[in-house]
Amino acid sequence: MTTAFQALRDAAGSPPTAQQRPLLRVDISTSSVAAGADAGLARLRDLVAARGIEIDILTVGSLGLSFAQPTLELQLPGKQPVVYGPVPPDEIEAFLDAVFADPVGQGDDSAWAIGVRGLNGAAGDAQDGVPPLSAHPFWGPQERRVMDQMGVIDPESLDAALAAGRYAALDQALDMEPMAICDLIEAAGVGGRGGGGFPAGRKWKFLLGAPGPTKYLVCNADEGDPGAFVNRILMESDPHLVLEGMIIAARATAASHGFIYIRDEYPLSVVRMRKAVAQAAAAGLLGGDILGTGMSFTLEVVRGAGSYVCGEETGLIASVEGLRGMPKLRPPFPAQRGVFDMPSNVNNTETYAHVPSALLHGSDWYREFGTESDAGTKMFSIGGALQRTGIVEVPFGSSMQALLSDIGGGVPANDKGAGKAKGIQPGGPLGGLLNADDLGLALERPPFTERGVLLGSGGLILFDERACAVDLSLYFSEFCEDESCGRCTTCHGGSQRLVEMLARITQGGGREADLDRLGVVDRALQNANCLHGQFTPYAIRSALRHFRDEVEEHVRDHRCAAKACRGLIRHRVSDPADPALAEAAALCPTDAFVGPDGERTIDDAACVQCGLCAELAPAAIVVEDRFPQAPVAASAAAAAGPSPAAAGA
Amino acid sequence: MTDHTNDALSQPGLLTPSQSQRLRDLLADLEPGKGSVLTALHRAQHELGWVPRGAISLIAGQLRLTDALIYGPATFYSEFRLTPPPATLVAWCSGPTCRVLGGERIKLILEKTLDCELGQNGPNDDYGLWLGQCNGTCEQAPQVWVNGRVVGKLSLAGSARLAQRIRDGEGAAKIAPPPPGAVEIQPALIRKESP
Ligand SMILES: Cc1cc2nc3c(=O)[nH]c(=O)nc-3n(C[C@H](O)[C@H](O)[C@H](O)COP(=O)(O)O)c2cc1C
Ligand code: SF4
Ligand code: SF4
Ligand code: FES
Repeated sequence: MTTAFQALRDAAGSPPTAQQRPLLRVDISTSSVAAGADAGLARLRDLVAARGIEIDILTVGSLGLSFAQPTLELQLPGKQPVVYGPVPPDEIEAFLDAVFADPVGQGDDSAWAIGVRGLNGAAGDAQDGVPPLSAHPFWGPQERRVMDQMGVIDPESLDAALAAGRYAALDQALDMEPMAICDLIEAAGVGGRGGGGFPAGRKWKFLLGAPGPTKYLVCNADEGDPGAFVNRILMESDPHLVLEGMIIAARATAASHGFIYIRDEYPLSVVRMRKAVAQAAAAGLLGGDILGTGMSFTLEVVRGAGSYVCGEETGLIASVEGLRGMPKLRPPFPAQRGVFDMPSNVNNTETYAHVPSALLHGSDWYREFGTESDAGTKMFSIGGALQRTGIVEVPFGSSMQALLSDIGGGVPANDKGAGKAKGIQPGGPLGGLLNADDLGLALERPPFTERGVLLGSGGLILFDERACAVDLSLYFSEFCEDESCGRCTTCHGGSQRLVEMLARITQGGGREADLDRLGVVDRALQNANCLHGQFTPYAIRSALRHFRDEVEEHVRDHRCAAKACRGLIRHRVSDPADPALAEAAALCPTDAFVGPDGERTIDDAACVQCGLCAELAPAAIVVEDRFPQAPVAASAAAAAGPSPAAAGA
Repeated sequence: MTDHTNDALSQPGLLTPSQSQRLRDLLADLEPGKGSVLTALHRAQHELGWVPRGAISLIAGQLRLTDALIYGPATFYSEFRLTPPPATLVAWCSGPTCRVLGGERIKLILEKTLDCELGQNGPNDDYGLWLGQCNGTCEQAPQVWVNGRVVGKLSLAGSARLAQRIRDGEGAAKIAPPPPGAVEIQPALIRKESP
């Protein structure tokens, strides 16, 4: 151990285990604030001051239990910490009454208790009637390696990070030759978590071999996939872990400077990462003489500004340079010509976060989890029509069924009764669609690739029978069209054609030939410059493969069984006497209801099929197919309005 | 409806002398050739609430680039706004979890009720409806952000009621007031002063 590191560690002290006063950890992260945690914290501080409660309040990042936000954790002296949630701001007072009842710890906290978290990585035991967190379906199956300190330590304190073991791996790396670090990381099989899975150690060797002295390291924290929020929770909850991984990478590649590129939608990540960089620099963990070893490396945080293709590494590099973030042809690869034309290395945020533990514990330990193709653990963010939304860490190769149905709790009940999973959307807008029949897939790249979809960077969205595969294909195609940087005609023109065709199909203008033409556009898009254009047709391609019947039904019969495509349905009043119609009429966004109370009908020309009336007056509204199927009486067909061909014109 | 589509080209977007001075001070440490365009644009937008034409020229001068080289990124990146933000900004989440839970219909209801298409402002810039990107608070889906504060788990009727309140003059301060010590979880697109 370097003496400089020894001194830092000694000054930082040890983690709070046997504290004298109750310790209340308050999750302040984007998810908890969305549920009112900042209002709750203000309320909590007021109450604690007013009542003179002897307690320490510590703001922390997130444990990942998004579904239970806002979460709190109370650790009484001599006891294990108990996780509570949701504790919304207006329940803070009742919560305090319960947990600080006389005698303390004996009040009824069952309304909020989730589980007992064990100390120092232990599983935890039941305590005062609260079961251990490890028995909770969301927590039990996890293997929290990079997430071990998230929601536990104060992300804005370097001392807390040091006390939790951060930078010990860096201290070790400073004793190693750069090539030995690359070898170790390669042997461990640390793969890129941004979607490609490329071995990080091997990529680092390219940069190590590139000429110096100016070489750049880039952390890709653009996390552009909507529905993926793995990098965000990392930066908000344990920013020093990411920095440590980057500094080790700098040591391994002889990089001189680094950029952490964070998407603009993550303001709290920007704040916490900037703070961490400043703290690390002040403590000598960054700068001209890192921990007294003479190693030199500096870091800066760059804020993105809202562009999906800036997640692609060459687009990201252009953006770091202050240009429009348009991807370029590779080669040259970043290691040859990167930021400001200097050799560079780009890795995902989570990739860097896996480096310290791999270095500290070695490759055998790292490979204890995972598969041949994907070693170690992976963080996933799960959402959609899901009981428990949140972020978890599980071994690569775990079954998706276990992740979504057990951990996530599957589809919640809805107005149509018990929910039923219809499919999964993995890997972001370019990832494609999977049928629920494939829920049993192992979470590693090969089985996903085999089915024509991408596992991607960790976002998984479950959808139920209210969603439609054609509508979702249209949605992702629109996203890709919007986000195309415009460099290649194939990409911006091709995605435009895709959107036009899919929009026409969802409006009843589908034609038999479309089934082939979608393939023609798909093939044309393969000539696009970067993967954005090439992967744009994944959504419709995978829909044609995994939801073939549904696509054909849209194209041939102009029918959407899910009743999701607004152009293929019609809302009609079936019971004008239903009193619930009054409110529906008052809220209808296009004033489509005509006629007096008790005789209301819907003016089909005004109605935009938004579904609001069916939600408010389900017994009085029927949602029917706009283009009823043969055999139908001639009069019914005429009443159906425009013919499919006319609607598609 | 207030359509600002062509403002950036047709309006001078001049800065007042005091705005110019403040912006000059804010940009003073940025040097040419260091990739500081995005940083400069962020600072300008944070200070003024949007990026008026005058700010583009001022940034170009500071970084010794042409106006076009600032205008390019300013229009390429969706977070930079070349039109003034409304007093009450409804940012509609365009993400996939919101989508599978009814988000597209919510957008439609907001647009029709506010009589304002996505990306536009209502009369006098009192309110506006803009596109927001998923920031991973999908447990609140389907949702919108009203001046950066989440209004989540919206039903279709709930979104119509929300839009009616806003249309009828209730501002963000009433609908989603930030608590003391509010934590910012959305990009600062909120108007700091009158444009
Ligand atoms: C359109 C597009 C968007 C991408 N977005 C991201 C992203 O948001 N985050 C990310 O880490 N990688 C993203 N990638 C992958 C990066 O180009 C790159 O492979 C990755 O950052 C390398 O890091 P890794 O090896 O650690 O995964 C994207 C790729 C494409 C084609
Ligand atoms: S494929 Fe699309 S996103 Fe990629 S460079 Fe071409 S136009 Fe830009
Ligand atoms: S579906 Fe929407 S637009 Fe049509 S009548 Fe019902 S509430 Fe009005
Ligand atoms: S999809 Fe709307 S918050 Fe994620």
